[in-house]
Amino acid sequence: MAGAHHVARSLSNGTDNVSRIWSSTMLASIPSAILHGVDGHPVSVEVHVSAGLPGFTVVGLPDAAVRESRDRVRAALLSSHLSWPSRRVTVNLAPSGVRKTGAGLDLPIAIGLLVAAEVLPSACVERTGFVGELGLDGTLRPVPGIASLVAAIASERIVVPAGASAEAALVADGRVRPASTVAELVAALRGRAPWAAVPPPAGMPVPEASEPDLADVRGQFVARRALEIAAAGGHHLLLVGAPGSGKTMLATRLRGILPDLTRDESLEVLRIHSAAGVTTSGGAFPSRPPFRAPHHGATEVAIVGGGTSRLRPGEISLSHAGVLFLDELGEFPATVLDALRQPLEEHVVRVRRARGAVDFPARFLLVGAMNPCPCGEGGLPGACRCSDVMRRRYLRRLSAPLLDRFDLAIALGRPDVEDLLGGPPGDSSAEVAARVRRARAVAHGRGVRCNAELPVEGIEDRSTLSADAAALLERRLRSGTLSARGLHRVRRVALTIADLDGASGVDERQVAEALQLRAARAALVSGAGL
Amino acid sequence: MTASSPLTDDQRYGAALAALGASPGTLRRFLDGYGATAAWEAIARGRHRADPQRRYRDKAVPETFDRVVAMCARSGVSVMVLGLPGYPPALASDRQAPAVLFSTGDVSVLEGRPRVAVVGTRSATPYGLGMASELGRDLARAGVVVVSGVALGVDSAAHAGALGSEGGGPTVGVLGAPLDASTTRAQMALRDAIAARGAVLSEIPPGVHSARWWFAVRNRVMAALAHVVVVVECHQRGGSLHTVAAALARDVTIMAVPGSVRSSASAGTNRLLVEGAAPVRDVDDVLTAVELAIVARPEVSPPQRTPGEGRSVASDGTGRSLGAVPNRVRRALDQDPATLEVVVRRSGLPLGDVSLALEHLAEAGLAVGERGWWSRPRR
Repeated sequence: MAGAHHVARSLSNGTDNVSRIWSSTMLASIPSAILHGVDGHPVSVEVHVSAGLPGFTVVGLPDAAVRESRDRVRAALLSSHLSWPSRRVTVNLAPSGVRKTGAGLDLPIAIGLLVAAEVLPSACVERTGFVGELGLDGTLRPVPGIASLVAAIASERIVVPAGASAEAALVADGRVRPASTVAELVAALRGRAPWAAVPPPAGMPVPEASEPDLADVRGQFVARRALEIAAAGGHHLLLVGAPGSGKTMLATRLRGILPDLTRDESLEVLRIHSAAGVTTSGGAFPSRPPFRAPHHGATEVAIVGGGTSRLRPGEISLSHAGVLFLDELGEFPATVLDALRQPLEEHVVRVRRARGAVDFPARFLLVGAMNPCPCGEGGLPGACRCSDVMRRRYLRRLSAPLLDRFDLAIALGRPDVEDLLGGPPGDSSAEVAARVRRARAVAHGRGVRCNAELPVEGIEDRSTLSADAAALLERRLRSGTLSARGLHRVRRVALTIADLDGASGVDERQVAEALQLRAARAALVSGAGL
Repeated sequence: MTASSPLTDDQRYGAALAALGASPGTLRRFLDGYGATAAWEAIARGRHRADPQRRYRDKAVPETFDRVVAMCARSGVSVMVLGLPGYPPALASDRQAPAVLFSTGDVSVLEGRPRVAVVGTRSATPYGLGMASELGRDLARAGVVVVSGVALGVDSAAHAGALGSEGGGPTVGVLGAPLDASTTRAQMALRDAIAARGAVLSEIPPGVHSARWWFAVRNRVMAALAHVVVVVECHQRGGSLHTVAAALARDVTIMAVPGSVRSSASAGTNRLLVEGAAPVRDVDDVLTAVELAIVARPEVSPPQRTPGEGRSVASDGTGRSLGAVPNRVRRALDQDPATLEVVVRRSGLPLGDVSLALEHLAEAGLAVGERGWWSRPRR
C-alpha cells in the first residue's frame, strides 16, 4: 500500500507529469479537454502502466469513441515505429464523474502511454496539453470544437492536429504547436526536429463574394423594405405568399444587408460552428453572419440542439448572430415550432437531458416563409381551393404565441410580368447595408444591439410618439385590431423605421407603416372565417 | 320563435323513422300509404312492403324511438311529417320533398312570400361576400324570403345581410347537418339569429351523425323552396352546382352574379352565365325574375320595389374631402384585392404615405384590408 501513497504524493506535485513508483510501474498525467455543448472542459488523462497480464482498460465514464481509442492508439503507435507496452495499461480520465465523448482524447492517451512506458522522457511533455484524433497510420486528425477545447487547456504549449491549428491559433495564439503525425510530434517533443509553423491567421474580415444581391430582386418594393427594417431592427419577419412570389429569393438576401459580426460575435460563431463540426471560413474568424435554412423535415433535436451521445448545437444555435430561415413554416412539426419560442425570448436554448444540461447561445433573426394555405393560392382572398378544415389544420400548427414573435408579417403577390422582364432594379445590398449600419448605430445609442431588444419599459423613454401617432395607435387599440403585446412590437418597428428615415421622433406615417407591415399576421392568427 | 308544441304520435314516429338511416327516397316509401305510426309498427314487425329484406327491422326498436324523441324535446326541435298539417305547403308538392323535416323557428315565414335562394362558395372573395350581403339586404327589404345554407362565406353573408338590415326580413336556413350539430361559435350565433326571425330546417334528426352526402341532398330542398336561385360566387366544381342541378330539374330560374374572369371564385358562376343563366347586377335583376316566376301564383305576394334602391351602386363616397394623398391611394384601390406592393406601385407614393392613407381610408370605410390585401369596398 506504500505505492498508493507515492502515487498520491506525486500527483499533487503538479509540474511533474510522471512518477516512478516501482521499477516496473509508471504513471503519466497529460492535460487535455473535452467538449460539453459548445464549451471545452479540462480533462486530465492519466495513464498507468504496470506489470501484470497485458491489457488495456479505460475508466472515467468513456463513451464508445473513447473506448475504441485503444485500437486507434495501438495502430498509430505501431505505424509510427513506436512500441506498444505488453503490460497492464489503465487509462483514467479525470474528473471521473463527467462523461467523456469523442475521439479528441486519442492523442493524450497515446502520449501518456509513451511517457508511462518510458519511450518519451517526461521532461519532453512538461506543461504541454494535447488534443487530437489518431488515424491508424499515425496521422493526427482534427476534431470538432477545437477552438473551445484549446481555450479550456491552461498549459503553456498545446499540441493540436495541423489541420486544426489555424483555428486553434485564433483563440490561443503562441501556445499552439501543430503536428501532422505521431512520428513528427515525438521528434519535435524530443527536440530533434523543429515544430511546424502555425499557418498565419487568415486575418479579420474576409469578404464572402458569393452572397446574393438585393438588386437581383425585381419589384417587391414592400418586401425589400421589410427586409431592410428586419435587418436594421433585428425584427423577426414572416413572408406569406403563394408559390413563386419570391419568398425564398428575398429571405436569402437578408444576410447580405446585415452588418459584419463583431469580434465577440465572431468568436461565439466560431466556437458554435466548430463544436457542431460545421466547417468555418478556413481558419479565419467568420466575419459575416451565418445563414441557416433547415428543411422542414428536420427533427426537433436537429433544430434546437441535443442528441444522444454528445449534446450538439442545433440549427438555431448555428444561426446565432445570423439568420434562421424556415421555409414552408407551416410544414414544420408543431413541436419544433413551439420549441423556438423560448430561445426567441431568451436568446439561449437550454437543452436538458438525463446525462447533462447545456446552454447553447441562440440569438438569431428568424425569417419564416409560408403559403397562406395548403394549395398556396389563398393569399388572394377567394382564390383558394382548400376546404375550411384543411386550411384550419394547416394554420393550427402555428401557435398564436409563435406568430406573436414576428414583428413583421407581409403578404406577397406574384411579381408583375413587366417587373420580371426589366423593371427598375432596386437598391443594391451594399446601399441597403449602409442604411442598416446607420440605423443600428442609432440603436446602439440606446444601449441595445438593435431595437427589437429594447425592453418594454425602455420603449416609452426612448421613442417619442407624435400626438397623431399616439392617436392612431389608440384608435387601433380601441377597435380591438391591436393587442397590448402587438402595441409594443409596432412601436419598436416604428422606431426602427424612424431610425432608417433619420427622424428624431416617431410620427404617424412610421406607425402606419409599422402597422401595415404586420397586417398579414392577422389572418393567420384568427384562422379562416367570415 | 314559436315554442314547439308537444309532438303528436305521428310526429314522434316520423322522427324515429328518419333516424333509421334510410335514404330520403326509402323514407318516403315507408310513409307512403301507411302513416308514420303504422309504418313504424310494420317495420318493427318486419312486414313493411318497402322493407322486404327487413333491413330496418333491427333498428326500429323502442330505444331508437325514445332516444330521438328525447333529443327533439331537449333541443326544442319541431317535427313535420309530409302529408300532415304543419308541413310547409311550399315544399309538400315537390317530387322529392323530405318525408320528415325538422325545424327550429317558425316555418310559416315560407308561406305567402316570394323566396329566393342565395347560394355560393364558402371561400368567397370580399366581392362575393359584399354582393351576397347586399342582395340579402335588398331582397329582405323587398319582402322576399332569403333561403340559403348556413355555411361560411356566401351563405352566411346573405343571411347576415337580410337579417341585419333595418326593415330586414326573415330568412330560412337549410342545414346539411342535424339542427343540434356543433360548429363554430359564429355559425351557432347565426343559426340562432335565423331561427329567431325565420326558420332553420334539416332532414336529419337531432343527435344523428351527419354524413357528407347530406350536404348535396339538402340542396334539392333549397331548390324546391326557391322561386329563383341566385349563385353569387362558385368555383369550377363548387357545391352550389348541386343546387343549380336540382333547380334545373324543377324548372326554377337560375341566375348568377358575374365575376372577374381571372378570379377562380367566379369560374363556376361565369360558366353558368355562358350556359344561359341570367346575370345579376343588382337586386332589380333578381326581383324582375321573381315577378316572372310568381306571375301565375296568386298565393305569393309580389315583391315591393323601393325607389332609389338598386341601380345606384356607383356612389362611392367621392363627396368626402380626404386630401390629395388618400385620394390618390383610394384611386389605386380596386374591387379585386391587391397586395400593399401593388397599391404602392399604382399610387406612385412612398410606403409611409400609402400606409397612413390606408389607415385613414379604412377608418372611413373607404378601403378594406384583409390579410394584408387591400380593396375598395362595394357599396
